[in-house]
Amino acid sequence: MDPANTPLGKMLLDEITPVVMVLSTPLVEEASLKNHLSFVQMLSPFCSFNNIDVPVRTASDQPYRLQKFKLRLFSASDIRQPNLEVAKEQLKHFISQAGDKDDMFSDPPQISNLLASSESEIQPSWFQFFNKELVRTVSFSEHEAFDHPVACLLVVSSKDEQPINRFIDLFNTDKLPSLLNDGAMDPKILKHYLLVHDNQDGSPEKAAKILTEMKSTFGSNECQLLCINSSHDGPVEPQDNPWAPYESDVSPSQCVGCFLNIDDSNEIKDLMQDLSSKHIIPYMEQKIRFLNQQVSATRKGFRNQIKNLWWRKGKEDAVDSPDGPMYTFSSIESQIRVLGDYAFMLRDYELALSNYRLISTDYKLDKAWKRYAGVQEMMGLTFFMLDQSRKEAEYCMENAFNTYLKIGSLSQQNATRCGLWWVEMLKTRDQYKEAAVVYFRLCSEEPLHSAVFLEQASYCYLLSKPPMLRKFGFHLVLSGDRYKKCDQIKHAIRTYRSSVSVFEGIMWGHIKDNVHFRIGQWYAILGMDDLAVKHMLEVLACSHQPKTTQELFLRDFLQIVQKTGKTFEVLKLQLPQVNISSLKVVFEDHRTYASPAAATVRESLWQSLEEDIIPPLSNVRTNWLDLQSNSKKYKESNVCVAGEAVKVDIEFKNPLQIPISISGVSLICELSLGSDDASSSTVELQNDDDFKNLITNRDMSSDNVSFTLSEVDVLLGGAETTVVKLTVTPKVEGLLQITGVRWKLSSSVVGFHNFESNHMKKKNAKGRRKSKHSCSDNLKFIVIKSLPKLEGFIDSVPEKVYAGDLQRLVLELRNQSEFAVKNLKMKVSHPRFLNIGNQKNLNSEFPACLERKTSSDPCCVGDSSSSLSQNVFLFPEDTLIQEGTPLLWPVWLWAAIPGDINLYITVYYEMADVSRGMRFRTLRMHYNLQVVPSLDLSFQISPSPSRLHEFLVRMDVVNKTSSESLQVHQLSSVGGQWEISLLQPVDTIFPSQSLMAGQSLSCFFMLKSCRKSLTSEDKISTLSPVLGSDVGLGPEDSNQPLFDVSSSPLADFHHYERLHQEMSHQGDPNAVDFILISRPLTSGDSERPHLFSHHACHCRQYFKRKPNIVASGWASDTIS
Amino acid sequence: MATTACFIIVSRNDIPIYEAEVGSAAKREDAAQLHQFILHAALDIVQDIAWTTSAMFLKAIDRFNDLVVSVYVTAGHILSTCG
Repeated sequence: MDPANTPLGKMLLDEITPVVMVLSTPLVEEASLKNHLSFVQMLSPFCSFNNIDVPVRTASDQPYRLQKFKLRLFSASDIRQPNLEVAKEQLKHFISQAGDKDDMFSDPPQISNLLASSESEIQPSWFQFFNKELVRTVSFSEHEAFDHPVACLLVVSSKDEQPINRFIDLFNTDKLPSLLNDGAMDPKILKHYLLVHDNQDGSPEKAAKILTEMKSTFGSNECQLLCINSSHDGPVEPQDNPWAPYESDVSPSQCVGCFLNIDDSNEIKDLMQDLSSKHIIPYMEQKIRFLNQQVSATRKGFRNQIKNLWWRKGKEDAVDSPDGPMYTFSSIESQIRVLGDYAFMLRDYELALSNYRLISTDYKLDKAWKRYAGVQEMMGLTFFMLDQSRKEAEYCMENAFNTYLKIGSLSQQNATRCGLWWVEMLKTRDQYKEAAVVYFRLCSEEPLHSAVFLEQASYCYLLSKPPMLRKFGFHLVLSGDRYKKCDQIKHAIRTYRSSVSVFEGIMWGHIKDNVHFRIGQWYAILGMDDLAVKHMLEVLACSHQPKTTQELFLRDFLQIVQKTGKTFEVLKLQLPQVNISSLKVVFEDHRTYASPAAATVRESLWQSLEEDIIPPLSNVRTNWLDLQSNSKKYKESNVCVAGEAVKVDIEFKNPLQIPISISGVSLICELSLGSDDASSSTVELQNDDDFKNLITNRDMSSDNVSFTLSEVDVLLGGAETTVVKLTVTPKVEGLLQITGVRWKLSSSVVGFHNFESNHMKKKNAKGRRKSKHSCSDNLKFIVIKSLPKLEGFIDSVPEKVYAGDLQRLVLELRNQSEFAVKNLKMKVSHPRFLNIGNQKNLNSEFPACLERKTSSDPCCVGDSSSSLSQNVFLFPEDTLIQEGTPLLWPVWLWAAIPGDINLYITVYYEMADVSRGMRFRTLRMHYNLQVVPSLDLSFQISPSPSRLHEFLVRMDVVNKTSSESLQVHQLSSVGGQWEISLLQPVDTIFPSQSLMAGQSLSCFFMLKSCRKSLTSEDKISTLSPVLGSDVGLGPEDSNQPLFDVSSSPLADFHHYERLHQEMSHQGDPNAVDFILISRPLTSGDSERPHLFSHHACHCRQYFKRKPNIVASGWASDTIS
Repeated sequence: MATTACFIIVSRNDIPIYEAEVGSAAKREDAAQLHQFILHAALDIVQDIAWTTSAMFLKAIDRFNDLVVSVYVTAGHILSTCG
């Protein structure tokens, strides 16, 4: 690639060109200002030639042709070093303007798009202008000859009086640039005299006269006449206006170059071409040749070199000032530099390079560091333009850069220019990575410039192959910070926003948080609160940050939100985190629960319990579904009942270490009315936008009372996790869908979480409408007409009881609805512990109702035994529970064994009104009791030594309670075939009557069999009471009544106990069951009366060959 | 002056697994995030260099001002980065 066609090459051909100083009289300016142009501006468009085709012969004898050429025209007043502060101010203004043009609302560019586009598309266009302006801040330095004017154009108007004198005066004023006056350059430069004639002032005859006079004074070649403003038709807009770039300086109504017609343009063009090809280029050629001769004479050749070295060495003790020694234009060093620069401008790069090399060592020896750096810089550029020795070019640039930096802050601008050229050089060679490093090194104390350089560096990283995206992002962030330092917030946001796409999805928490937090903050400064909040939301759930940072984030966020005064609605607000997997829905269709605890019990457990009492499932389904609709969809939905709450438990987690307050947590639901059009009106929630719409719609129609929602307020401590219990109660029939949950954070931001968007997406991807395990199925309900629902509980179930404790409790069933229920059935999971009593027991006094009556009620016994056989208790058929009249039913609780006992009770009932959509429901109750040991009971039976049908029974009782004293009341044998009596009176063996905690008691009885023979009717008689089968153990004088063990509920419990303790010896006639009844001594009358019964079943006689083995109590005790 | 340092272990897919701020210097408030930025950006360099050398310890492959980044690359391409 031709170096001249590269961006840097073009830049150099543009910037390092001969300078022409223009000196004009005020009248000339006046004439050109009619076109709203200065005289320099008027000429400037015609100073650049693409095809000038001038033969050039420099030092060598071989001529070459110059095609491209450019002159730089400056009025004399502009030929001086620009004021740095003014330049900085201008740049700042310019950058601010560029920032204002940015579109703050558009989406930031995606990284994939950036990678696909070219450099010019990615970078803001003002970078180039910025770089150019920075380069120009160091123009007209005395250490570089290429900015020194080559020629001087003296311009006088034909209207001027005494034009010849004016020409002379122009060059002799004190207003000449300091470069010419202080000896930095040769004041004897090429002069060209131009007479300007304004055609509006009349015919050019007078001007022609002056021209002749000029020619005779200054020489015929050096004088020319330029006629301008020839347009007679008044202001016209010239086509292809060459002055268009200057238009921005004037107001739009004024036309730039309006009085200049095509003839004027051509005349100017010819003038400039003439000036370049016939005067400036030949002049430069001539000077090059002259200087070359000079240099050869003094510096070339062995003798000169030795001499030079010797002479330089003598100067070693020279002052080490940054500027080095002063070189006047007549010094050989300056002449070599001029020679090099002229050769460079005429593109004789070989000549330029050799001279630069020559002068470089001189300057180095002289420690003229600034000049040395300048020459090194030019060497680098010459190498580049020669397209050889890239390494050397880069070395020269780096050397120049470092040298400039070494000199100090005065040369910072030079270093910047050098760096910018160096960067361009690297970019040309696709060394973007290295270019980025140079940009980074360009950063100086001036933060605004550093910001722009860092941003350019970041784009270099993006453009390097392979792209270094992380570096890109990092440098954008660095740049943004510096922009912010200079209050260029818009630029800061722009850079940060570009970096967002790089840092998207990475797991580096601090980086992400920093980026989003800063953008959020800055948007807030600009008052663009929506965007600020959007970015702030990203950093809220910053669990990895220290506590102070979390506080800062949250505080700033809430401040912004409060400033807006709006309530923000945020989908998937991260504060608190919603644990979707913890979502638990409890709803009641035909299954209803008496307590939340009952709802948590495994469904299979209930199902096995209800197996016997509910009709087969398939039948049920068709029954109530037929009443609704046969739509297949419904079969997949759950059923709930209008007026009954659907409970949803969801876990909220606070990821932060600081407490947050959440209020108004409620469900988001959708209830489509009417079952027929339900399917069409159900919104498929494809994406979050739809979801959001749904939310807003819901809010608007908040007076919609088709369902009610519960609201919960929670204060979540640091890192706390809370299960929030929410309910929705549909009020009308239809299709209810629970779509999400909403809450309010610190009463200013509303958060939403959609329960199923993820599932939906998954399903769509699979192309299936529904998957069986989808959670959305759980959240869809068919709401059916309101039904009666029984509420039930057992009154005052104790949490902790002693084993053997027998209590009468009351089951209360209530029906809140106006419709009655019937056909009640009930089943208990552990009939050994809980037995359903008789309605008659309800009002009678406990435990007196258990006492033996003179005539027992056989009906009662028969009743209970029949219900026992089925394990299901059928309430009397005429039982009907109406609104307001609760059904009270006694139940017996007997703690059979110590341990942790879960009792499950299910009540089945049917609707009195069959058309209600559901035929039956069940009420599930769950109770947990802790049973602690009380009496340990064991029996030992041995045959009486004297009588055949008599046995000696030894009873050992140990009180295992911790503090309870028990009074033994009665021992009964069950079965009626045994007669039992005390061997000794109670008082002698048991004087205290009560058994203290830990105390044990042994007692002997005589057992007498009254069975005649084993007959088939034996079993019938087993339960009939026989006098003498009980023996009272209480104090004899108290004459307390004995309890009837053969009637309900003692007999029932004994029945289950027998079944439970039953082993292989069923029906053995020699086995005997004992029931020991005791009462707690301490139980005052204020408490509920307690009765303890302990059952020992299948106690048998020991054969003599196996003596002394104890049948231990009521546990597995049958030993033979 | 390098009295502050950051040690990070990065998994193959650029996820920081372990992070520790070490060093005796008084902690700057933004030290953690600055270190993350530097080390994250240094991964670009590591990515280039790791395949060009057989060495596992890549000493001082990147720097930011006075912070120098050295990396130990394991065979499974898990990086232990030190800045």
